Amino acid sequence: MGLPKYTTDIVRAGLEKRYKREAHFRRLGVAAIVAGLIFLSILFVSIIGNGYTAFWQTFIQLEVHLDASEIDPEGTREQNVLAAANYGGLVKQSLRDMFPEVESRRDKRKLYSTVSSGASYMLEDYVKANPEQIGNTIQFWVPADDDIDMLMKGHFDRDKPESERRIKDDQIAWVDKLVAEGRVESRFNTIFFTAGDSRDPELAGIWGAATGSFLTLIVTLLLAFPLGVATAVYLEEFAPQNKWTDLIEVNINNLAAVPSIVFGLLGLAVFINFIGMPRSAPLVGGLVLTLMTLPTIIIASRAALKSVPPSIREAALGVGASKMQMVFHHVLPLAMPGMLTGTIIGMAQALGESAPLLMIGMVAFIVDVPGGVMDPSTVLPVQIYLWADSPERAFVERTSGAIMVLLAFLITMNALAVFLRKKFERRW
Amino acid sequence: MTFQIDSGIDLAGQEVGAVNSADTVAKSDKVNRDDRKTVGEINHPDPRMTCRDVNVWYGDKHAIIDVNLDIGKNEVIAMIGPSGCGKSTFLRCLNRMNDTIDGCRVTGEMMMDGNNIYGKGMDVVLLRAQVGMVFQKPNPFPKSIFENVAYGPRIHGLAANKTDIEEIVVTSLQRAGLWDEVKDYLEEPGTGLSGGQQQRLCIARAIAVNPEVVLMDEPCSALDPIATAKIEELIDELREHYTIAIVTHSMQQAARVSQRTAYFHLGDLIEVGSTDQVFTNPKHQLTEDYITGRFG
Amino acid sequence: MSATALLFTLALLGVFSYWLGRKRSFAVVDGQAWKLHSLPSYYGFYTAIWCGVPALLITGLWLFFEDLIITHLVVGQLPADVQSLSPSRLNLVVNDIRNMVSGNIVSVDVDPTMQAAADHYIQLQDISKAALTVLVLIMVIMGGLYALRSIRKDKQARNAVERVVKVFLIASSTIAIFTTVGIVFSVLFEAIRFFETVPITSFLFGLEWSPQMAIREDQVGSSGAFGAVPLFAGTMLISFIAMVVAVPIGLMSAIYLSEYANKKVRAVAKPLLEILAGIPTVVYGFFAALTVAPFIRDTIGSTGLDVSSESALAAGLVMGIMIIPFVSSLSDDVINAVPQAMRDGSEGLGATKSETIKKVIIPAALPGIVGGILLAVSRAIGETMIVVMAAGLSANLTANPLEAVTTVTVQIVTLLVGDQEFDSPKTLAAFALGLLLFVVTLILNIIALHVVRKYREQYE
Repeated sequence: MGLPKYTTDIVRAGLEKRYKREAHFRRLGVAAIVAGLIFLSILFVSIIGNGYTAFWQTFIQLEVHLDASEIDPEGTREQNVLAAANYGGLVKQSLRDMFPEVESRRDKRKLYSTVSSGASYMLEDYVKANPEQIGNTIQFWVPADDDIDMLMKGHFDRDKPESERRIKDDQIAWVDKLVAEGRVESRFNTIFFTAGDSRDPELAGIWGAATGSFLTLIVTLLLAFPLGVATAVYLEEFAPQNKWTDLIEVNINNLAAVPSIVFGLLGLAVFINFIGMPRSAPLVGGLVLTLMTLPTIIIASRAALKSVPPSIREAALGVGASKMQMVFHHVLPLAMPGMLTGTIIGMAQALGESAPLLMIGMVAFIVDVPGGVMDPSTVLPVQIYLWADSPERAFVERTSGAIMVLLAFLITMNALAVFLRKKFERRW
Repeated sequence: MTFQIDSGIDLAGQEVGAVNSADTVAKSDKVNRDDRKTVGEINHPDPRMTCRDVNVWYGDKHAIIDVNLDIGKNEVIAMIGPSGCGKSTFLRCLNRMNDTIDGCRVTGEMMMDGNNIYGKGMDVVLLRAQVGMVFQKPNPFPKSIFENVAYGPRIHGLAANKTDIEEIVVTSLQRAGLWDEVKDYLEEPGTGLSGGQQQRLCIARAIAVNPEVVLMDEPCSALDPIATAKIEELIDELREHYTIAIVTHSMQQAARVSQRTAYFHLGDLIEVGSTDQVFTNPKHQLTEDYITGRFG
Repeated sequence: MSATALLFTLALLGVFSYWLGRKRSFAVVDGQAWKLHSLPSYYGFYTAIWCGVPALLITGLWLFFEDLIITHLVVGQLPADVQSLSPSRLNLVVNDIRNMVSGNIVSVDVDPTMQAAADHYIQLQDISKAALTVLVLIMVIMGGLYALRSIRKDKQARNAVERVVKVFLIASSTIAIFTTVGIVFSVLFEAIRFFETVPITSFLFGLEWSPQMAIREDQVGSSGAFGAVPLFAGTMLISFIAMVVAVPIGLMSAIYLSEYANKKVRAVAKPLLEILAGIPTVVYGFFAALTVAPFIRDTIGSTGLDVSSESALAAGLVMGIMIIPFVSSLSDDVINAVPQAMRDGSEGLGATKSETIKKVIIPAALPGIVGGILLAVSRAIGETMIVVMAAGLSANLTANPLEAVTTVTVQIVTLLVGDQEFDSPKTLAAFALGLLLFVVTLILNIIALHVVRKYREQYE
């Protein structure tokens, strides 16, 4: 009595149902993986689909007469005289000449807006560099206005009624005429990679933000790597087991999980308001990101130190090395690849971080490329945030383009970390 | 020699593999190959499981070579041999616990109730309900003592209601000789028991499904002598209801609990016989060397 | 000299003094280096440390206090009527002077007293720089001379150097503590000031949030517009949606990858899912605002329901996607920590794989999984960019995921971004919210880390 009889029969009877449940559970697992991968691909498709056109820009060829009486009436060819000339007028004149049928003031203004407002500066630069061309008529390529660029890239629907379009019928007609004359060309968008921020999408670039990111990361690396390694070495090799050490460890683990925006509040209150460092400076950004990435680096470095077998330490001490020599001559070099891997991952985190930098003013609109760690600047992710907020359709494209650049950097850094880990992975 | 494997492709592939690997073993070990033929009576008058020409590979490693052995009804058969001889591997084949190991391949015929364990029609769940297993290290689930024992009957749906489950748990614990020690602590976690108690709990857990065969893989190797003695006593009592195959490192244990003994050596089954005969009068030189302590 | 040039000079002098110290050590034993207590390089390091470290400390302190002192001196020279202004107005004046000093254009017309003050400021700065340079050079020379003179053959240079290194190591390791203390103090002080104007109870339990109303001075504290409950509700709603997405997907993919998938699938799927963890949050925010929110508005909106274009659903969904790899890798860790013996025990009884997982592995791993989920919740609560870009600013008190809600982090960003008067309750409110955020996530983290550690110890 007590134990089940006919076990096999009962089990056999239940098998079908149980296998159904098994298959169902397995399908759930596959579905979860597939869902994750689908999200990933939608994300990438959406970003790349919106962004790949950012690397091209529509240019319009103007026929500009560099009227000597306008630019340099006295023929001095001095730079300050050349700089004072009205290049905007020349560009407008050229447009009027190409479309003599445009007469009303409103239409003319529409006509002028087909080329970028940066065209006059480019013309100025050209004339300053080639003063011998003054008096000639030149064929000059200028970037198209962002709306025209969007039209050429097919982001505006020509079939919509005119009142719902940013681009009006006559502008489309002008552009079509320019296209027919071969005066419109899509070129690689060097402006995007070499310029700072701008209100005009066709003149906006990521170079300023990229430089800001670079400066910020340099500060972060210079501070976080030595401090992180030193902390890890102390905790792993020297620290006594006591309350103080426990406190440090609890703190590090907690800081790793503190929301990044809180570090921004710290930066604002301590570095800017208390110490009086300048707002928007890469130095402050670097300091904040240092505090944020330190836990990552410390945890990775400790793991790397832990993986060095005790026999190495004993061998070094056995031949009469001091503890410090043992650590710096033997343990640290062996743990270095692991520490570097952790540092690269921490740097990748810092490169993608934006929330704390908003707090310390790196969100300002800054046109100039920063020249040092005290200059106001922004960083790539914040630039993305700023552009994402801009209403122009062309900024959607620029934002996605900037994201692609940022992701390319991040993927490279992570790949490097994986490579380092694979290459130097050692089993003792 | 018949390979009772349903798919022809499988058969071909495995047979080729078998020949090749057997060749390499034979070449490297030419001198001894003939000496490795099993001596003693592999047959049992009333067999519960019959194994013929069993070969097992782990990747390229030939772990079990042409083993033939019957396991009789209501007997305790002990498998002994030096480390790495394949005795555990053989045991784990009997309820296909090797399925989970990557690269493990089994050929040959292991029959139970006229079905090949490794045949296509065999259902692993059903097989394991009939052939239970007790592991080397006690591995109670992190649940209460009651839930540990009730686990098997619950997943197989063996009990219709709460009273049935309780009855099964009580009987299993009684049979495992643990009832008196734990009857007041059924809701305590199973992991809180002592090592020996944990192992008896695992035995109770195995017999709660009412299997016909119980496999024990060195069940006492992690226990102290007193706990070991209790388990050995228990094995002897369990013989009344179950067929038991036990792998053990200890020859004394084999001698105490088993009726038949099989000696394995480097993947070969060297000698099978009644426990008395194997220990007092081994027929094979290797068996004698092992029993007299010359190696292993 | 500018600070950069000074540091550069210091570095050069350090290298030079290393060389001097090393040479000196050879000289004291007539080139027989084996007679020295330490290796010659340690004497070099010893000298370099004496040269560099005191000078560096002085420079740091100097730069820290320079601004404070100069400002004080400049303010002291200002006309009495300017000095008698309220502290906050005076602050503005000082800011204007600073702006003039750094060459930025100031909004007001340049007034001669201001110009004079700015000139004074520049003059003081120059004096300070010169003084610092001289002082540092003196420190370097004195330190170097002292070190060189103290080199003898039995001088324990190695021990001295190692002591300094150890002090550096210890100092580095205390940074974590200082950071925590810094965070607590920086949010606590401002929060206390905030609670002086707005009672803490009306902050914690008030149902209306509209900080814009309190900008005018006469309304401070009287409007009752700093009730943070709608923010908590919004934060919780979005975090809840994120967890509904992330926990099942993360947990099931971890289970599938560690229990079912073969090596090949694992080698491909795992890194791919981990890419999700490496994507910056600003990218998720853009994705949410650009792709997901319009998609949700159009699909659900087409059924006739009213969907906000900044719906909590869009932000929560994308946040969930972001957290999937986090949940998945934490679950993976705890599932792998369950010993193989448990699986063997269950399968040896004839359980199917899913029965083993559901009835043995998950119950065994539950504490670890719960800890992981708590950490994920803490992340969701503190996540900023996604909600800033995809969730709204309107503090609706609602449980409807199709409406726009706002969160604690969104409000912190909105209140602090841009030029704000630092003392207005609006700005201080951001710090009160920051304090709250820090405390809540801290509690979650401590519980979670504790649970996970206990869980790990169980199987070690």
